[in-house]
Amino acid sequence: MKNYDKLINDLAPRKFGKIGVIWTSLLIVIIIIGFVAYIDQIRKGQVVTNMRDYALWGIYISNFVFFVATSFVGSITVAILRLTNNTWRTPLVRIAEIISVAAIIMAGITIMIDMARPDRILNLFIHARLQSPITWDVIIIPTYIVISLLLLYFPLLPDLAILNKYFKEKSPKLSKRYGFLSLNWSGSKAQKILQEKSIKIIAIMIIPVGILLQTIDAWLFSTTYRIGWDSTNFAPYFISGAFVAGVGALITVIYIVRRVKKLESYITDSHFDKLGKLLVLACLIYLYFNINEYLIPTFTAKKGELIHLDTLFTGHYATLFWLVTIGGLVVPILVLLFKKGRKPLPMFFIGLIVVIGSWWKRYVIVTPTLLHPFLPIQGVPESWRHYFPSLHEWLITVATLAMALLIITLLVRYLPVIPIQRTADEQELLKTDKSSKS
Amino acid sequence: MKNRKKLFIISFVLLGVFLISAGFHDVYGQAKKNKVRLKADYVKIMDGEVYLDIKATSKIEKQNVKVPNIEVTIYNEFNDEEIELGSIITNMKGASKFVIKDLSDIKADSTNIYNIVLSFKGNDSFKKASKSISFKDAEIKANLITKDSINYITATLIDKSKDSVVVGEPLDVQVQRLFRSFKIGEEFNNTDESGTIIVPIEEGIPGVDGNLTIEVVLNDHDEFGTVKALVSAPVGTPIVDESTFDQRTMWSPRNKTPIFILIFTNLLIIGIWSILIYLIINLFKISKSKI
Repeated sequence: MKNYDKLINDLAPRKFGKIGVIWTSLLIVIIIIGFVAYIDQIRKGQVVTNMRDYALWGIYISNFVFFVATSFVGSITVAILRLTNNTWRTPLVRIAEIISVAAIIMAGITIMIDMARPDRILNLFIHARLQSPITWDVIIIPTYIVISLLLLYFPLLPDLAILNKYFKEKSPKLSKRYGFLSLNWSGSKAQKILQEKSIKIIAIMIIPVGILLQTIDAWLFSTTYRIGWDSTNFAPYFISGAFVAGVGALITVIYIVRRVKKLESYITDSHFDKLGKLLVLACLIYLYFNINEYLIPTFTAKKGELIHLDTLFTGHYATLFWLVTIGGLVVPILVLLFKKGRKPLPMFFIGLIVVIGSWWKRYVIVTPTLLHPFLPIQGVPESWRHYFPSLHEWLITVATLAMALLIITLLVRYLPVIPIQRTADEQELLKTDKSSKS
Repeated sequence: MKNRKKLFIISFVLLGVFLISAGFHDVYGQAKKNKVRLKADYVKIMDGEVYLDIKATSKIEKQNVKVPNIEVTIYNEFNDEEIELGSIITNMKGASKFVIKDLSDIKADSTNIYNIVLSFKGNDSFKKASKSISFKDAEIKANLITKDSINYITATLIDKSKDSVVVGEPLDVQVQRLFRSFKIGEEFNNTDESGTIIVPIEEGIPGVDGNLTIEVVLNDHDEFGTVKALVSAPVGTPIVDESTFDQRTMWSPRNKTPIFILIFTNLLIIGIWSILIYLIINLFKISKSKI
């Protein structure tokens, strides 16, 4: 019983420390600045951005694709590891679920920002055509938000009941909220059956829905007949890319949470080692699809596509292209192949590089293609043939990233980041295993 | 010193001339009116409209420009009398069409010539102008005939003022097309002694449902103006409509979504959302089943 109390003490949410307060305040300030820029964008129109006739999609869309990709972490780590009965997943899944929820919510918000006037979202429903991947996207994103929330919520129920009891004396207000959210969880057999059944259904369902989400995201590009996007390889290319972005984000957040919440005895080096192997696998698959995506066109490309490839390989975007390919993909593979590279600290840096690389990778996918249409647009100023985000775009984009981090921070603050009940059950099982062997 | 004085006087005179000319420029500009040139072509379409094709132009700064928004009145000149037929206002291209509802409404002189006068009263920018045109009434009788499996267009040009056929005048035979008519037959098809031409219609000319509209035209004739007869000839090759406008395609509007997309997408949406609703119901069930 003493161990159980210690477990709850270790894993129950704690108030922000000094760093937590500074961090949250910083995020709020960034969000406010971004919000002011967004209001200004609504007031003046998208003329405040650097998007013009050529680059009609810019940083907002690459940011949206990044969020969609990152949300895939819920499907891969939680669902796949659950269905393959990998018990080491336990301390990691909730953080993955939290990242998934934050990323997919922000993906939805980002696409609204790109529409300039938010009321235009209605047009997507009023004029929806089921042939259009944009309509599929409009359907799949809310669907994935609901699934991600359910995937986070169902396993939380026993923990919310525990926290209800735990905070009864310490903080009755908080306890009441946990009690309300725990849906009268008593751990009865009927409740457990319903909960386990539901989690199993979600775990199965989120995999095809997650793949659908990434596929639709890829089809948004590949169904438009444009250089660099017109590829049958695009959907698996996006799925594998999402695998990399998701695991990269998970490793980074886990490292910080583990350090801040002092969870070293729960999230061990062994977890990082396994996540490292998972990331190597993800990077290798993504590298394979990258080779497919860029090597074959160098043999078969016609003039327009060759110009585009030259821009990427040796031209204007070469530095960025090679940085995201080598820095964000090849280097992580090389480092993580060694056991020392899979230790927590190197893993944190690798995770961070992978996330930054993933973000810029989406920029490299979106922007150069738009600047190389099959038919040059007549009578436009020379400056429209180039694109780099404006200050408004940067402020708003950074604010969306800060909002995602704020959602993660608040959820990490108020929810047990490691499932309490499940950890207790597993430790109990371990004990019974040991006692039965002896 | 003398030279300096001369230079001063010359400069003063030049400056004076420049200032005076600049000062009067506006007044002179306002007083100057441009000439309007009126042009009218008489056009008669058999069993259709009879009209005057009116154009107004002006030479301003050595350039021919179209004159829009001027009112031109049309008169029928008869026995030194001018009977007003109506008026038109030119459009932005300086053109307009005056439809003569019935040719019998206007009077011809003793030689059966119709005399029409166009008159513009003038305005702040343009001087008054007028233009007279004369024409005789003519008629084209056109028919489609088939001889030895070959289709022909025959047409006879008749001078209605004398009720006699017109010999040796060129008639154009052409198939109506969207932008410009497509000429068939010889370059010149002159009417013979009986005032008739006969032109074979080539095979394989495409037409909607195989229907061709063939025009026989007497073009801008000095006496008769333009006379046009239209013949419907179902002798063309039917156009195979390759448009997917009415089909259910991936690029059609939402009311023409392909059936497989409708079924597949809706099944997916209904399937996934049924499960989600079931899961949400499970949450309610959990909250109700304490024991």
